[in-house]
Amino acid sequence: MIYQDSKTLLSVRDLHASVSGTRILKGMNLTVKSGEVHAIMGPNGSGKSTFAKVLAGHPSYEVSGGEIEFEGRNLLELAAEARARAGVFLGFQYPIEIPGVANSQFLRLAYNTVQAGRGEDELDPLEFDDFVREKMKLLEMNPDFLDRSVNEGFSGGEKKRNEILQMALLEPRLAILDETDSGLDIDALRIVAGGVNQLANKDNAIVLVTHYQRLLNYIVPDYVHVMDAGRIVKTGGKELALELEERGYDWVGAEAKANARVNA
Amino acid sequence: MSTTLQNLVNQPYKHGFVTEIESDVAPKGLSEDTIRLISGKKNEPEWLLQLRLDAYRHWLTMEEPQWPNVKYPKIDFQAISYYSAPKPKKTLNSMDEVDPELLRTFEKLGVPMNERAKLAGVAVDVIFDSVSVATTYKAKLAEVGIIFCSISEAVRDHPELVRKYLGSVVPVGDNYYAALNSAVFTDGSFCFIPKGVKCPMDLSTYFRINTENSGQFERTLIVAEEGASVSYLEGCTAPKFDTNQLHAAVVELIALDNADIKYSTVQNWYAGDANGLGGIYNFVTKRGLCKGVNSRISWTQVETGSAITWKYPSCVLRGDNSVGEFYSVALTNHHQQADTGTKMIHLGKNTRSTIVSKGISAGHSNNSYRGLVRIAPTAAGARNYSQCDSMLIGEQCGANTFPYIQVNNPSAKVEHEASTSKIGEDQLFYFAQRGIGAEEAVSMIINGFCKDVFQQLPMEFAVEATKLLGLKLEGSVG
Amino acid sequence: MNTVSTSPYLAGLLQGQPPASPLTWLNELRANAVDRVGALTVPTTRDEDWRFTDISPLTKLSFQPAQGAAQLAPAAIEQWAIPEAAARLVFVDGIYAPGHSFNRAGLTVENLASGVSRHGAAVQAHLGRYADFERNVFTAVNTAFLHDGALILVPRDTALAAPVHLLFIATRKHAASYPRCLIVAESGSAVTVVEDYVALQSEAYFTSAVTELALTGNAEVHHVRVQREGAEAFHFANCAVSLAQASRYHSVSIALGGRISRHNLAALLAAEGAECRLDGLALIGGQQLADSHTLIDHASPRGSSRQLHKCIVDGAARAVFNGNIMVRPGAQRTDSSQSSRNLLLSARARVDTKPQLEIFADDVKCAHGATVGQLDVDEVFYLKSRGLSDTAARNLLTYAFGAEVIERIPVASLRNRLEQTVMERTHAAAPGAEGKP
Repeated sequence: MIYQDSKTLLSVRDLHASVSGTRILKGMNLTVKSGEVHAIMGPNGSGKSTFAKVLAGHPSYEVSGGEIEFEGRNLLELAAEARARAGVFLGFQYPIEIPGVANSQFLRLAYNTVQAGRGEDELDPLEFDDFVREKMKLLEMNPDFLDRSVNEGFSGGEKKRNEILQMALLEPRLAILDETDSGLDIDALRIVAGGVNQLANKDNAIVLVTHYQRLLNYIVPDYVHVMDAGRIVKTGGKELALELEERGYDWVGAEAKANARVNA
Repeated sequence: MSTTLQNLVNQPYKHGFVTEIESDVAPKGLSEDTIRLISGKKNEPEWLLQLRLDAYRHWLTMEEPQWPNVKYPKIDFQAISYYSAPKPKKTLNSMDEVDPELLRTFEKLGVPMNERAKLAGVAVDVIFDSVSVATTYKAKLAEVGIIFCSISEAVRDHPELVRKYLGSVVPVGDNYYAALNSAVFTDGSFCFIPKGVKCPMDLSTYFRINTENSGQFERTLIVAEEGASVSYLEGCTAPKFDTNQLHAAVVELIALDNADIKYSTVQNWYAGDANGLGGIYNFVTKRGLCKGVNSRISWTQVETGSAITWKYPSCVLRGDNSVGEFYSVALTNHHQQADTGTKMIHLGKNTRSTIVSKGISAGHSNNSYRGLVRIAPTAAGARNYSQCDSMLIGEQCGANTFPYIQVNNPSAKVEHEASTSKIGEDQLFYFAQRGIGAEEAVSMIINGFCKDVFQQLPMEFAVEATKLLGLKLEGSVG
Repeated sequence: MNTVSTSPYLAGLLQGQPPASPLTWLNELRANAVDRVGALTVPTTRDEDWRFTDISPLTKLSFQPAQGAAQLAPAAIEQWAIPEAAARLVFVDGIYAPGHSFNRAGLTVENLASGVSRHGAAVQAHLGRYADFERNVFTAVNTAFLHDGALILVPRDTALAAPVHLLFIATRKHAASYPRCLIVAESGSAVTVVEDYVALQSEAYFTSAVTELALTGNAEVHHVRVQREGAEAFHFANCAVSLAQASRYHSVSIALGGRISRHNLAALLAAEGAECRLDGLALIGGQQLADSHTLIDHASPRGSSRQLHKCIVDGAARAVFNGNIMVRPGAQRTDSSQSSRNLLLSARARVDTKPQLEIFADDVKCAHGATVGQLDVDEVFYLKSRGLSDTAARNLLTYAFGAEVIERIPVASLRNRLEQTVMERTHAAAPGAEGKP
């Protein structure tokens, strides 16, 4: 939701990034204020997921230009774990499986690490167990999840719920959810979206990276951005998503090229 | 591989110091005279000398095994000294008379030679080069009839027991290194748990090689009579030398009816430097015989040291309903080579075995699991389950799995599974994105990977094992 | 130049080599092979590769190549006909039988002896390049005798839907035959080949076959191998497959016959994105020994392989499986899984299985599994609770166990025939007769 006088959380200016020598982001700009929900849409290969990973500090992506300011700090100077502790959360498109590491153990270590980073109290295993079970209700998750290895053998929907559970535990200031709707059936989508909506408040912000409009029926964005060839080429309200659903992405790219010619 | 990961798996070796102590070292070389010398120094009975000579003569006819997946230059058996013992100042009457230099050495290694030490509750036999220098809690154990002493003492004080069981599980000519050991073994531990006795504390032996160019050829014999049970631990370290040293041990376990032997090893011999120079050749024969019905032998090993490890702790399941277990973590780094696994020989009816092997390879190392599960025609209803997982860290190392499954009884059921996993950038990024740094992430992943094995270790050993892997245990044990 | 002393048995086998070819390179290839035979010995169980397969019964007999073709009536081979075949090549005791062969495939399917002159360059580019005779004595002997067999050349972007049938018939006692097949699938092509070994007699004879397959980029080959040799036959086969980029190879090999049979199958995933699937079934009884050694060699990134090998062993028979999956340095993103499943039906049956992983790249997904056992008690009980007799329930489950592999044969008539065979064999085996509950 757009609030009057809310603070700028994230400010991305003319960001350029590449992976294995291929330039993906070419002049990305985005400003996110607290309380807002942004959707970043675009065709495959437009750079949406790359943008999400660059924000979170994935080591394979090289930033060759531009700035990322997060709550007044230069995010590019921080390692991935420091960004997480500062309140940047990435919901993975493909959550990683960690055989042998119990989910409860992983969640508690993550929670306590982030809490310690904020100078707040850590929880012992028993306290944490109560705390996490409460959060799991939000996502209608079976407590069995706690005893299983992290994401191992989880279905697509279970993995995505586990991501949102982590978001609920870590209470980030900025949550970037990368294709959180992919691989979800309609019930799981409803649950996941419901969880995200309950976590949204006036002090945090959410950036949804998605290919389809479907998710936006459940999580209503304040802004919809369309990416093409490594930057945002069009920004609108939630109605833009419906138009994209109807007309596809081609016209946005064509329009952008035409504008570029006009401006040139 | 990322440098973070590289640094995390490359922990320095902490036990590489040499103790300055005056030693009685036999001249290099191997002959019947060497064997007579060893036997003479220990005042051995004629039958034992004869056993040694038989083994030696057999060894001369044998060839070094070529099948393991390891490479090393030919060993010059004449360049090794087969006996090295710290010179005692006088005959020892109590622990207080042990050479203070030795006490300091083992203190530094964290081995409790003092019965009042903080790790009270574990009896230790301490082997320094070729001889046992002290055994703790002997008297207390003797009260319940348990014999725990060096094998040399056992030969002197309980010759009938030693003669009955020595070589009964690993015959003198069993294999090349077992034959060599049978010819030249110098010391080791002997445990005898009489009928119906549950050993009230863990027994352990700590092996230390100190002298350069000496080999260690220890011999361990553990006998659990009907209904007896014991948990035995073994630890090993050695100083850093640029030359390779040979360690060729033989361990024999015998479990009679309803007996239970649990044998745990944390092996941390010097592994050589980052370029593969130096380190111990660890060529060991360990075998347990489940002789009686319902007996159980369980091997747990954490193998982190040695330049080369060649070792297959095995169970011969002769008694009906007997159980064999093998739990192993083998970590290789730099240029280490490990070819390790187990043999489960099912002879009796309804015998069961479980194999859990976790291999972690890093650097330029090569880590092989080699295992045999044999179901003899007599082993009706036998069961085996094996799981062998490998983890690779980096792209210069190798992980191999060679299970041999031989089944000759239609009512047996054998299952084997193997898989590979890795610690890569994506895994570490996932942890980082949740605020968890690389060191903790690696620790958590490796501990998770090895969990099924660590759970089998006695508490103190589990702590040591995880430390050895250069890791912290936050959150997973305790 | 044979400078090494040849073992007397191998020297005996080398008698009766084919006359010199007009092709110099072919003569050189044979001569090199003869040299190798000189340096090699008859394998024994002391060789790791032959640890479970004692072939000493072979060395007690001598074998010579057949001289002159046996005449067979068309009706005699009708039982093995594959009606949907687009082409068929028949070899009797290793000798090409043009009268029984036909080719309606519209591409090169002909006997190697004549094909080698017509397609010299194409053949020379591949023949002897994949089947290693440096260490394998039977490949070396086959290469020393390299003369005839099958040649299949599938041109670029040509897909042949109907199968090609290669039928090898044994009719003579103590005959040795050395069939050699070369199958080259050019880029984007597809073909299905059935290699079929049968017999019209039950005395001892010796087959040492070598098949080489070269798959160029994006080619697809389905290779069905049926070994239903005579009861006293010695069958040694070496098959080597080379897979170029994004090519796909699927092999189903069924071992039913022979006294001692050994099948080596090596697939080299030489370029990126190649896929290979190896399925095998050995169904043996009596005193039979069936040994299958496979190597899936991932030498390039992003390759995938799947393997299912099953053995059903009855009587005093012995099945051996050795499946090696190699992932070479740099073969990242390899995805491989292997499964060895074995069923023992009698107290004297024996299986030795050794699935192996050798991995030298870290970003890979590899898994293997092996099981040895009996029929699942619960499954037998379930069927019995539905009214089946114990024998019927066991037969049905044994059949189903084998059928899982047979079903993967992409040639309907052959699949049906073999399903029938497995049905008959499993009924004959009647494991229930041992009096188990």
